Amino acid sequence: MSIEVRRTQAGLFLLLRRLRAPLIVLIVVYAVAVFGFTLVPGVDPDGRPWRMSFLHAFYFVSFLGTTIGLGEIPYPFSDAQRLWAVASIYATVVAWLYSIGSMLSTLQDPLFRRIMLENRFANAVRGIREPFVVLCGYDDAGRLVARELTEEGIGVVIVDRDPARVESVEIDRLPAAVPALQANAVVPATLLSAGVTHPACIATLALTGDDATNLSVSLNAKILAPQRPVICVAHHHEHQAAMARVGTEHLINPHDTFAERLAQSILKPSLHVIYESLTTQTSTPMATPPAFPRGRWLICGYGRFGRTVHRHLEQIGIVVTVVDEQNVSDKGTDYVSGNMIDATTLRRARLGEAAGIVICTPNDTTNLAVAMLARELNPSLFRVVRLSNRRNTPLFRALEADIITLSGYIVAAEVLRIIRAPQLSYFLRLARHQDERWTAQLLERMRERIGAEIAETWSITIDEASAPAFAAARARGQRVTVGELMRAPDNRELCLGAVPLLLQREDGKSLLPADDEELLLGDRLLLCGREITRGRLRWSLSDQRVLRYLTGSPQRA
Amino acid sequence: MSFEKTLFAFVIVLALTLNVGFVLGDMTRIDHHDVYELALAIVVSLIATVMKFGDRSLLGSTMLATSLVADVQLIAAAVVWGTATIGGTEITTHDTVTVVSLAAGAMVANIVSVVLLVIETASLRR
Repeated sequence: MSIEVRRTQAGLFLLLRRLRAPLIVLIVVYAVAVFGFTLVPGVDPDGRPWRMSFLHAFYFVSFLGTTIGLGEIPYPFSDAQRLWAVASIYATVVAWLYSIGSMLSTLQDPLFRRIMLENRFANAVRGIREPFVVLCGYDDAGRLVARELTEEGIGVVIVDRDPARVESVEIDRLPAAVPALQANAVVPATLLSAGVTHPACIATLALTGDDATNLSVSLNAKILAPQRPVICVAHHHEHQAAMARVGTEHLINPHDTFAERLAQSILKPSLHVIYESLTTQTSTPMATPPAFPRGRWLICGYGRFGRTVHRHLEQIGIVVTVVDEQNVSDKGTDYVSGNMIDATTLRRARLGEAAGIVICTPNDTTNLAVAMLARELNPSLFRVVRLSNRRNTPLFRALEADIITLSGYIVAAEVLRIIRAPQLSYFLRLARHQDERWTAQLLERMRERIGAEIAETWSITIDEASAPAFAAARARGQRVTVGELMRAPDNRELCLGAVPLLLQREDGKSLLPADDEELLLGDRLLLCGREITRGRLRWSLSDQRVLRYLTGSPQRA
Repeated sequence: MSFEKTLFAFVIVLALTLNVGFVLGDMTRIDHHDVYELALAIVVSLIATVMKFGDRSLLGSTMLATSLVADVQLIAAAVVWGTATIGGTEITTHDTVTVVSLAAGAMVANIVSVVLLVIETASLRR
């Protein structure tokens, strides 16, 4: 607060200081002109000599400098007065031009404009009443997060170091007004004016492409507002430990996330469909699981991404051959070194007998070329291609690869999941450790209840505020089970289009709670289902008559 | 010793001296008080105000405030004088006293300005 006020005053003081000289010139010129007019002799219509009073002189000089008009007032001037008027005209007009010019140049001054922009930004942030997140870094991930969140009515405040990206905030036409500032998020004052300590701020997101920046943003946000969660992206494993130490609640490593998902999907194809339908807004539970092959995989490009994928694939027992320009120093790794965009190199890596390929160099052109070549050499190959620059998306789509991965999308999906339904991250973590039979059953249930619709995921806290009917029922000593709640409020013979995924309470959790599981006050229930179900469920929980009907108690209305 | 500081002190002291010069004399008699002296006092006081613009120190802010007080008082005196003599009428004793007492009020503000100036100079020495 105090810093913002100081900045506002700084702008005002800067303007005043710059205007000092022009204003003094203006005052002096006016004074001389006015004094002159009171001293220069004139004659009235009767031929008697008279001198202007201060009132007349000031009046005349006032319109002289600005308009040069209105004529000679109150009597026609004498020659001496005209002479003085000519001198005054030039002097006052020049003084005006000078002071107006100085004022305009001060207003155009980069420093002054910078201060004004900062003030406008800080004021806009201070005026926010709805919950919002502070988003540092408006790249691929930031852009997606900002769009999705604003569409849901959660405010976003953007800070980015790149002026072009800040300007693109306006072009992107987000559905809500989004204050954006071009500034270095590492500077604590920037975070303060972006509102990390604002009462409505719900989280700080460090999504810049630079790990060191993300680390210091997380650290600063944690020190300034220890209670607010921080979501932080890390590309290097070395930084993750430090980020975790400063108290960052959610760490996202896009390489890890992707590699883990790939490995899990090879083991359990249904999990891939569940994952996609729960985390993206484009896929439904009815999608067919892609046929992830279990044979030998090729990894083209052994950078950070390649190494991570390699480790995860090996963990699940997949045989991997690495292809890279350089020799691979890791022991026990089967590798082929050479030019990747060369059929002989790929043949040496026995591409013809490989089941899948992960093409993950940081260069999009290389990735495209390798993907094309790989399809030529082995059309049945399962291809996973890494995309680094979102602008190249159309090219990669045309490639018809089985999976295209963009770090920005992965990060955005993770961030949104954490903000929308914090329980979902936990659920997915638990789901990863289940076997294929379990995941296949869950997918079956989701298909039954949700069908070919976009699945929404949401959490309900069962308490007085959000479930008054339930609280009342509990107060009467009545028990309500998950199965009863999952019935349609207008016809209890029918099931609601939702699947309860996770029930959490103080003394434990229940993954996929059974229908006869009893609900207690203070429970947190994670569900996925059709969008319309969300409202119907809220109805069941808040209308006592509906809840009585669902639980089938005799005193129903 | 800098030219800027000298000029600053000069303007502030001049604003006070002109003001005192105008107020001196019989309060009830307008011919003891010169209109040019009042006009000059206003001009110098305005310049002093502008010169204090943009000073963010505590003393600087207080000096700006006293200077603004002097401006307001002096301009009020000039307006009273102007309205009292509309149509060429002679100024009444009551209006004369009002004009002079308004200017005397400004004088107090100007004295405070000069005192602050002296304090600032003295604290700089240390």
